[in-house]
Amino acid sequence: MTHEELEESVPLYAAGALNRTERQALEAHLLSGCVSCHSVLKEFQSVAALLPLALNPIAPPRSLKATIMAERNPAPIPAETAPNEPARQSLEPGEWMDHLFPPVAPARSSSLPWALGLATFLIVAIGGYFAWTVSTQRANDRSYIQQLEASLQQQSAKLADLHREIGDQNKALAELRNELKERIQEAVQAKEQLAQREAELEETRILLSQRGNTRTGETPQDELATLLRIPNAKAVSLTGSDMAKQATGFLLYDSRTQKVWLYSVNLPESPAGTTYQLWAIHDKPVSIGTFNMDSGKAAHLLVKKTPSFADAKAFAVSLEPSGGRPQPTGPIYLLSQS
Amino acid sequence: MDKPSPHAASIIDPTLLARVVKGDQQAFSQLYDHSSTLLFTLAVRILGSREEAAELLQDVYLEVWRKVSRYDVGRGTPVAWLITLTKSRAIDRLRARASRGYRATNSQEDDTAAQVADPGPSPLETRADEELRSAVGAAMAGLPQSQQQAIELAYYEGLSHTEIAARLNQPLGTVKTRIKLGMSKLRESLQQWGHHGELQ
Repeated sequence: MTHEELEESVPLYAAGALNRTERQALEAHLLSGCVSCHSVLKEFQSVAALLPLALNPIAPPRSLKATIMAERNPAPIPAETAPNEPARQSLEPGEWMDHLFPPVAPARSSSLPWALGLATFLIVAIGGYFAWTVSTQRANDRSYIQQLEASLQQQSAKLADLHREIGDQNKALAELRNELKERIQEAVQAKEQLAQREAELEETRILLSQRGNTRTGETPQDELATLLRIPNAKAVSLTGSDMAKQATGFLLYDSRTQKVWLYSVNLPESPAGTTYQLWAIHDKPVSIGTFNMDSGKAAHLLVKKTPSFADAKAFAVSLEPSGGRPQPTGPIYLLSQS
Repeated sequence: MDKPSPHAASIIDPTLLARVVKGDQQAFSQLYDHSSTLLFTLAVRILGSREEAAELLQDVYLEVWRKVSRYDVGRGTPVAWLITLTKSRAIDRLRARASRGYRATNSQEDDTAAQVADPGPSPLETRADEELRSAVGAAMAGLPQSQQQAIELAYYEGLSHTEIAARLNQPLGTVKTRIKLGMSKLRESLQQWGHHGELQ
C-alpha cells in the first residue's frame, strides 16, 4: 500500500473498521515512524475516544465496585496471575499506542510479555521490511535478467544471421571452385586434344612425305606448319570415290584466319583442259578453289580468304573444265567422311 | 486546546493514575468513581447486556490495576486509554460470543430497554461533562444517518468495512466513504474537545 492509501485508511482505523491485514499494514507503517500518519491518527483517535460520551450514561451496579476492590490484590500484580484474560485477536484500534510508546516506569516482570510482544512485532516489521527490500531487489534482478535474456536473444539472432551468411558465402565459394575445376579440366582436355591433333598431323606429314617421296614447296609447308599451330584448326579427311579408289585427301581449315589447306595423294593426273575443284557443301556446293595434278605427285591447295564454311556439312573434290565452274559439273574424286 | 477541568469526570488527572501505579487504593477507588459509568455505558452498548458488561468491567479494572504501570501520559489521556481498553475487551468478548453462536440482536433490544430505565448521569458528573456529552451527541446527530450507522457498526459492533458492506448490502467503497466522511466531520465538530481523547 502506498503512503496515501495508508493515510486514507486512518479514519477507518480509528473507527475500528479496518480488517486485520489492513490494520497490521497501517500499524507497521506507524512503527516505521511516519510523522504525518501519526499526527492524523492522533486527531482521529481523539475523536474516537469521545464517541461513547454520546451514549446515554448507564451507571454500573453498585455491587460492582465492591467486587472489584475485593478481588484485586493489595498492590498491582504481574500480568502472569491475571484471571481469565480473554484471548487477544490482534492489535485493536488504539493499542498501537502501546507499541509506539514504551512504558516510562521501570520495567517489571509484568512488562516482559509486552516487551516480548513488541520485540516480536519489531522483528516481524523489520523482517517484513527486509522481505520487502529483498523482494524489490529480486524484482529488479528479475527485470535485469529479462533484459539480459532479451539482449542474448538478439545477439543469438545476429549470430545465426552471420552463420547463414558465412554458409551462403561458403556455398558460393564451392560453386566457384567447381566452376574453376571444370574450366581447368576443359583447358586440360583442350590441351590434350591439341597435342593429339599435333601428333596426328605430324604423323600424317611424315606419312605423306614418305609416300610422296617428294619435297613439298616451302611455302605450303610453312603454311601447313602455321596452320598446325593454330589450336582451333579443324581437320577433315577425304577418301577417294569410285573414280579414284586409291586417292585420299586431308583438309585443314581455320575459321578465324579463313585459311584452308588441302593435301591429296594418289589422285589421277588431271587431263589437259581440266582441273580439280574443291567444294564446301552447305545447302549447295560453294567453290573453294581449283588445283592441278601431275602424275605421281601429291597436290597442295592453299586458299586464303575463303567464303565462310564454318557450317559446311561436307567437302568434295570434282574434276571440272579448266578455270573451274560455279557449280560442280564433273565427276567427284574425293569426298569427306561425314 | 482547552485546559482539562479538574472537576470533569470525563477528564481524569494523569497524576491519579500515577498514584494508582504506586498501589494507592484510594486513588484506584477514585479512578473507578470517575470512569465506571462511562466504561459501563460503553460495555453495555457493545455487549448489549448489563450482566456481561459488569463482568467485563470487573476484568477491565483488574487489568488496569495490574497493568497501570504501562500507562504513559504520553500515550494519551487516561480516559482515552480506559475507553480503548474497555472497547477492545468488549469487542473481543463480542466476537468470542459470536463464534459460540449467540445472537447479539436479542441482547441489543434488552439494552435499549435498560438505557430507557437508566437513572441518569452519575452524581459525580459536572457541567463540563454535560457540555462535552451534548457536543459529542450533537456532532453524532449532525451526521447523515448512513454515516452514523456505518461508524457505529464499526465502533460498537467491531465490524470491518467488509462486514458492514455485507450487513447493509452496500458497495464496499460506499461504506468506506461513509466512515471516512463521518469521522472527518466528527473531527471538525469536536476539534475544541480534543483534549479529552488527546494522545499526547
